[in-house]
Amino acid sequence: MTISLKRSLIAAALGLGIAASGASAAAAQDKSYSIVTVVKLSGIAWFNRMEEGVKQFAKDTGNNATQVGAATADSALQIQLIEDLVARGVDAITVVPNSPQALEPVLKRALDNNIVVIGHEGADLKNITYDVEAFDNKAYGEHLMKRLAEDMGEEGEYAVFVGYLTSNTHNQWVDAAIAYQKAHYPKMTLVVDKLESQEQQQVAYQKTRELLRTHPNLKGVQGSAGTDVVGAALAVEEAGLSGKVKIVGTSLPSIAGPYLGTEIDMISFWDPAKAGYAQDVLAVKALKKEPVKAGDDLGVEGYNDVKVDGKVVYGQAWVDVTEENADKYDF
Amino acid sequence: MSRLVALIASPRSVVFLTAVVFALVIGALNPNFLSVATLIDLLRNSLVTGIFALGVMMVLASGGIDVSFTAVGVFAMYATVSLVLGLDLPMPVVGFFVIAALIGAGLGILNGLLIGVLGLPTLIVTLGTLSFFRGALLTFVGTTYISNVPRNVIAFARTNIVRLENAVGQLVSLPLAFVVLAGVAVVVALMMNVTQFGRKIYAIGGSEEGARRIGIDVGWVKLRIYVIAGGIAGLAGMTHFTLSRMANPFDLVGSELDVIAAVVLGGARITGGHGSVSGALLGALVITMINTSLLSAGVPSYWQKVVVGVLILVGTGLPIAIERFRSQRARLARPA
Repeated sequence: MTISLKRSLIAAALGLGIAASGASAAAAQDKSYSIVTVVKLSGIAWFNRMEEGVKQFAKDTGNNATQVGAATADSALQIQLIEDLVARGVDAITVVPNSPQALEPVLKRALDNNIVVIGHEGADLKNITYDVEAFDNKAYGEHLMKRLAEDMGEEGEYAVFVGYLTSNTHNQWVDAAIAYQKAHYPKMTLVVDKLESQEQQQVAYQKTRELLRTHPNLKGVQGSAGTDVVGAALAVEEAGLSGKVKIVGTSLPSIAGPYLGTEIDMISFWDPAKAGYAQDVLAVKALKKEPVKAGDDLGVEGYNDVKVDGKVVYGQAWVDVTEENADKYDF
Repeated sequence: MSRLVALIASPRSVVFLTAVVFALVIGALNPNFLSVATLIDLLRNSLVTGIFALGVMMVLASGGIDVSFTAVGVFAMYATVSLVLGLDLPMPVVGFFVIAALIGAGLGILNGLLIGVLGLPTLIVTLGTLSFFRGALLTFVGTTYISNVPRNVIAFARTNIVRLENAVGQLVSLPLAFVVLAGVAVVVALMMNVTQFGRKIYAIGGSEEGARRIGIDVGWVKLRIYVIAGGIAGLAGMTHFTLSRMANPFDLVGSELDVIAAVVLGGARITGGHGSVSGALLGALVITMINTSLLSAGVPSYWQKVVVGVLILVGTGLPIAIERFRSQRARLARPA
């Protein structure tokens, strides 16, 4: 009995049958790793899309990459899933945390067991090998402002929405956008302080109505939560101002679709499939002890020239969707 | 004279006066504010809060409290839309409302059984069902936004009762969904004021033990209250769907306190026995005005919450303080 056969028997006994057979198939050229992605919850469009990226990675590289997630976005369930993976002895865990702080102890245990840990949407995580972010929030906010300014002819009044005044990413986006406007588009003016939509479309709608009444010359709105642009678009449509007020922001085609091209000029987001793929690429790099440095190409669209800040790896992986390419995305 | 004082000191008039003063202040800061167009906007924006408030008012009048109604509303709304789209049925708009009301009433049965039949405390039960209904919705029904709304619903959403231009040339409209609020208001007003059932609700709210002793089947009345409140919440959820033209299972939950504040501002008491349709509707208008109009006055977002809190404290606290003061004066004036 050869050593490798013995190993695969033990692995099979441990319930790693698939990983082991994958390993023997690819063993000739390269070691195959088992990498499991743990998402916030399974079954929603966003993470279904991420799973497509994970499957693509498995197909492209021959590694055993899979995705798991609980039925509800619950930290306790996520911790349990990761504990099981640590017990199974996988090579790498990539994780989209529900609550970064809650995961630290179990992630530390994974690292202590020589398991590579790659985060996503978890730049604050401490017990990780790397964290990959689709983009630097500042660069993303500036990107949205550039488009809004272009649509507005670089002049006129505008307002910005955040989901909650306490939500970090949203505020980073709009703060960067406002700073960029002040530096580059002197003829544009922010009419009110950041508006809070409470992540609710009807709140964004009501505040936009109010905004239009108070500032009749309003020409632009930038949204942050997925439904901000839709609420603003509905208000603009009902006020009979379609086309006169430009709207850009973060959203998904499945949410903003009906208004794209009429009230909403452009929405941006990041493709979870690409993020899932990039996480797996980083995991393999870490397993092979290859260093990751600024300017590296992860071989995924949007992650061709990454920025590295400590353990956090940034791409420029935002996707812009207008009326023309909206049908390419089903989430 | 004392009758005039009593009238002014009633909770409803304190709220009404606060609202008028508030509107005048904003009008002084922004002349565009005081107009018919603004009033129509306010009515449009308070539709969902108003419908919810009518159901909550019934519960408060009976001495209970309900915090689960937003979850009932969003469950009924999202389940109805999923069902109709899933089966691909040609469904008239009225059908959407009927199904949502039935689902809402069905969920209300659970509240009613736990509170009316088992006699559990209303706050505990509805806190539990709030979480339960929402969890069940997200786990079993769905978590995705539905934005491919049937065409007849869009047509309904675009049908307006009134449509006019405001001072700056923007269109302002009151959608047909206003009929839902008006209909629910009329039915609840009749029920509370001219039926035996309505009198029993106030009786239970005034003194549950007293009501029981005069032969009212308290459990049965409570069961019916929560079923009706559930149905009303279902209608509110569906109204929300037609106004927003999308079904979002994460919506509505979180706005309970606004609605309860509206009902309390409108003169209902947490301790039961009081509450009226006109008060609840007025409260809904005032809450909506406070929540949306501060922007016109240039109040920064952070400060809006402070102002809302102060107005609620004044609106609900002042009538109580005035009454305390009056009864104390009356006691002192009484010959020993």
